This record gives sequence, C-alpha cells and structure tokens, in this order.
Amino acid sequence: MKRLDVAVIGAGFIARTHVPAWIALGARIRIFSTDDQAALLAEEFGLTEATSLEEALDWAAVADICTPTATHRDIALAAFEAGANVLCEKPLALTPGDAQEMAEAAHKAGRLLYPGHVVRFFPAYIRLRDAVTSGALGRVAVARFTRTGRYPTWSSWFADPALSGGIVTDQMLHDMDIARWLFGEVVSIHATQRGNLTAPGPAPKAPVATGSATLTHESGVISQVLGVWGPPATPFRYTFHVAGSNGTLTHDSLAHPSVRVTGAAGPEASAVPTGDFGEDPFAAQIREFATAFHGGPAPRVNALDGVAAVKIAAAARRSAATGLAVAIHNTTPRTPTKGSPR
Amino acid sequence: MKVALLSFAHVHATTYIQLLSDRNDIELIVTDPDAEPGDPTRGKALADELRVTYRASYEEVLAERPRAVIITSENARHRKLVEQAASAGAHILCEKPLATTEDDARAMIDTCEQAGVSLMTAYPVRFHPAFAALRHTLTDGTLGPLLSVHGVNNSRPPALERPWFADPALAGGGAIIDHTLHVADLLDVLLDGEQPTHVHAVANTLLTPDGADRPEVESAGLLTLTYANGLVATIDCSWSHPATHPTWGGLTLTCVGRRALVEFDAFPPLLTGYDTAQATTRWEPAATDLDAAMLDRFLTAARTGQRAHPDGETGLRTLKTVLAAYTSLRTGQPATTTAA
Repeated sequence: MKRLDVAVIGAGFIARTHVPAWIALGARIRIFSTDDQAALLAEEFGLTEATSLEEALDWAAVADICTPTATHRDIALAAFEAGANVLCEKPLALTPGDAQEMAEAAHKAGRLLYPGHVVRFFPAYIRLRDAVTSGALGRVAVARFTRTGRYPTWSSWFADPALSGGIVTDQMLHDMDIARWLFGEVVSIHATQRGNLTAPGPAPKAPVATGSATLTHESGVISQVLGVWGPPATPFRYTFHVAGSNGTLTHDSLAHPSVRVTGAAGPEASAVPTGDFGEDPFAAQIREFATAFHGGPAPRVNALDGVAAVKIAAAARRSAATGLAVAIHNTTPRTPTKGSPR
Repeated sequence: MKVALLSFAHVHATTYIQLLSDRNDIELIVTDPDAEPGDPTRGKALADELRVTYRASYEEVLAERPRAVIITSENARHRKLVEQAASAGAHILCEKPLATTEDDARAMIDTCEQAGVSLMTAYPVRFHPAFAALRHTLTDGTLGPLLSVHGVNNSRPPALERPWFADPALAGGGAIIDHTLHVADLLDVLLDGEQPTHVHAVANTLLTPDGADRPEVESAGLLTLTYANGLVATIDCSWSHPATHPTWGGLTLTCVGRRALVEFDAFPPLLTGYDTAQATTRWEPAATDLDAAMLDRFLTAARTGQRAHPDGETGLRTLKTVLAAYTSLRTGQPATTTAA
C-alpha cells in the first residue's frame, strides 16, 4: 500500500476512535484541532500536531474530519482545495444544501468523499442486510430500530442543535441511514422530538432527549426509528426488529454480550459499545475507505448516501417542528460522482 | 351465578370458556348461532368439545336471565348483542374493540347506563402485576416526568384462524384496530384517561402469506400519538409475528422519563430452549394469566353490582385513537381524535 498521509481534523471522541484504526493501517498522521485536545492525542499516539488547518491539509492525501458537524462543510471544501480525499464523520453536514455542496466539490476536485456511517460496519447490521438482500427474510414489511445512550454531555456542542442538529440529526440519522440502506429511498417521514433539545447551562439536573421517526419507503416498507439520550447511567444500546414474509430478525446489543462485568459500578455509563470481539467497526470502516482511496473497490457507503441521510434527517426535524408528515422528493440528485461507481 | 358467552367468532371465546369452566362458582351457558353450520371449530361442535352447555340462539340464552354476559362476536356485531344483553338485565364484558364506530360505542354505553348494567371492555393487559409495578415507577417519581412511551403489540395474523379479522365490514379494519387498543389502554391507565390530540399512522399490506390473495386490510402499522402536554407515544400494531412461532406474539411498553427508562414485557417466556421432537424453539409462557384476572374482576363486579373497569368510556376513548389512525391513513397527515 502506498504511503498513507492522513490529516485528522478535530481531536475529540470520534478522533480517538479513528486514530488507532489509521495507525493500524500504517498511516502517518498529522492532527489539528482548535482546542487543546490535539496535543494530548498527539502525545498519546505519537502523532505530529499541525499548527494550522492549512499545514495539516497541505501535506495530506486524506483528510479525516472529526470536528463538530457545523464545521464539516468548510473543512471539507478546504481539503478538496488542497487535493485531499475526505472521510467526514457523520452527519456529513447540518443541511442538505451544505452536504450537497460538499459532494459536488469532491466531484469537481476529482476527489472522494465518504461519510462515517459507521453503523453500516457493525456486524449485526451487516448480517441483517445480508438477510434482506438475499431474500432470506422474504418480502420485508415493517421494521423498528432503537438507539439509546446517555445524553452526550462530554462535549457541549451536542446539546446545541445549531451545531449538532440535535438528537434527530446527530443520533437518529444512523438508523435512518440503515433503514434507507436496507429498504430503499424514503418518500415521507413523520417525526417527533422531546426533552432537552438544548442542554440546560451549568446543569443542575441531567438533560434528557427522545425522538421518534416513522419512515415510508418507496418500496412500501414502513420503518420506525427511536432515539433516546437518557440520564447519565443509561447504558449504550441498540436494537432492531425486522419482519418479512419469511419471518423476523431481531437484535439487542445488550442481550447476549460475550463478556459481562458486573459489580464494578461507575457513576456514568459508557458511551461506546463493548462486548464485541470481532474487528472494531471503526477500524473496518477506515480500512474499507483507505482501500477505496487507493483505487480499490467502492465502499458500502458513498457521498450520495451521506447527502440522502442529511436530507431525511432535515425532513424529520421539519416534521417534528410542524407536527406534519413531510414528503421527501428523491428527484435523482445531480450525481456528483457520475461516471464513477463511487 | 349464571354466566353466558355469546358467539365464538373471536379467538378469545375458547380461552374464556376454558377459564370459566375451571370455576365452580358459576354456571356457564354459551351460544354461537351465527357460525357456519357444520364448522367444527365453531357452534355446538366446539361447545361439546369444551364440555359446556350450548343453547341454540341468543334469545334462548338471554331468556335464562344470566347475571353476566361475555360478548365475543365479530367486532361490528358487538352493538346488537350488547343491546340485547342489556335489555335482559345482564352485566356485560365486551371483547375489544368495543365497536367499530364512535356512534356504536356511544350507543352501547348509553344503553347500558339506562339499563343499569355494567359495561366492561376486555383489556386484560392492565391486570398484569408487572404493569402495576411500571405504573408505580411513574407515581413514586422513579421515572420522573414522562417524555415518551413506546409500545409494541405484534401477533400472528388472526385472520389465519378466523377470516373475518381481514374483513373490514366485520372487523372495522386490520392490524390497527386489532392491536392498537391494548397499548392505548395501558396509556389510558398511565395518563389517567388523558387522550392524544393527534394520531399519525402509516400501514401496508405486505405481510400476506405467499400465494394468498392480498387482504383489503392492513397487516402492518406504525402509529405516533401526541398529547396536549407534549407527550409522544408510538405503537407498532403489526400482525408481524410468524404464524409458526411457538407463541402467538407479544406486547412490550418502554417508558422514557426524565430520570429513568422503564421497560415492561407482558408476555416474557418463563422457559426457553429447543424441542427436538417438534424441531422448534421452546417458548414456555409465564404463569401470569391476564385473562383470568380480567374475568375475575368482571365476575366480581357483576356479582356486587359495581362498575367494572376498564369500562365502556375507556373502550370509546381508546377507539377514538384507532379511528383517528384510519383518518390519518387516508389523509397522510396526523388526524385529531375529536373530529372522528
């Protein structure tokens, strides 16, 4: 494999999951962040800290954008300008317009843009997709997806919808993407959200948020996505239940752990899934993208999927705000990667 | 006490007859005059199999002045039988849905009020002791203020056993009218009778067994209920449970509160495993018998003349949610529960 020079932009929670995966691939990493976290990560993982975004990008073949959502667009445009391919943490952007602009900029620059829809790399969803696409489930009719964890208070920007899009765009987008991956384009959506859409300032009590979305797919399948950002001790958990004419498939990430530790209670639940002993999904994702950046096969998710997910989430937020169901027009988008399967 | 059961149309008739036959404090008489003659799963054939006293007509049964009457006819035929039973002076337990229209439900409630008899709607799940525990987490503050409630009630398609469940004229609809109601009743208990202001629904008919004609009614449905105080409730009411699974389906309810999440499973397996003789999964249900608890409440109320809950008004309130869901299916937008 050619030399892999990666600029990791941002040094928070997601950067921490991506960096070891890049290192495992033999990448050289420069890291840049506008807070003081980059220095810490650089020291911990033996990375080079860049002193500016430009310095990080100029040198890089790949930019890995791990910053708060609202900053993705500008950094991605700068990365394409600098000639880098981009892995952008999900959601690609806050608005469909921004996401589309990023996809078009990639196309214009002749570079690749992949969104970090990491749930597509979790074993249970991979196996579910196999069952759906192989026909093992028969004709699928109805599906439910849930995602529950503690309110992301580790970074203040999650609680600001202007920066994160709130629970609908930041968290439920994962399962909306999975539903679209499995059952095809979404033609309409009805959604709700409740609770602390912005976290109370210096919190006297724990913020909590919950959301629901009902998706109608072009295929006729109906699906439900539920999200919870719960009280501090809420364990991270995801579940699904899919019913087709040949039966059902269910998964509960807490039901059958390969190892269970009890008694060592901490005050707060872990925000990351544990108990899986296969390849780390974040590492699988980065390996697949790195292969594609080097001219290998197209990955399972591309820029258009990233744009579509942002579009669905935006429609969900409009529905939650108005109380009305919102139609989603899937006029075949101007395909920025036309002529390329990527 | 003389107790009568009218019609074996609903699959629950057999369950109720078996439970009532086990009691030595009542005398049970049954009738199923609307069954197809010769149907071995209905009428006198079924009564003989269950060893219960059979009468040839509703009139004959009611002429014996039963103190309590259980109605398990097709949904759209509830009203007529309720009116007959009320005029015979009987306290009534009516299978859910109470009716298929608001007018019918209202008329049934009024008839029973005027006749001075009790009208109970057959919602057994609220009698689960674990549901009482769930409710306690709400009243004692463990849950904190409720943000959202998520219910699932899935089963195998009942039309496989009783085809009228897929006939909109007799059933009033499909999975939505069949399965929204149990969860709606639990919400009614948790929220002290507060009703949603709006109901949004989507549905499809894709879960038809291969080779069969597609039914006119929906077999999968997803509902979202919103309340004046902002509370959101979702319900998956689909007939999506495999017909050959060892159990009929199930019901769960998850409450998301400000301080905690609480999950309720009304029908967890007591034992699971594998059965080599049948080459299928074992699934032994817990011993909690919700139908028995509900029947006991009904018979006690009939004996003492108390009002039995869930009553007809509960049946009507929850039916309004269902009717709003069907309006939403037609318009594609949330429907109000008051304009039904």
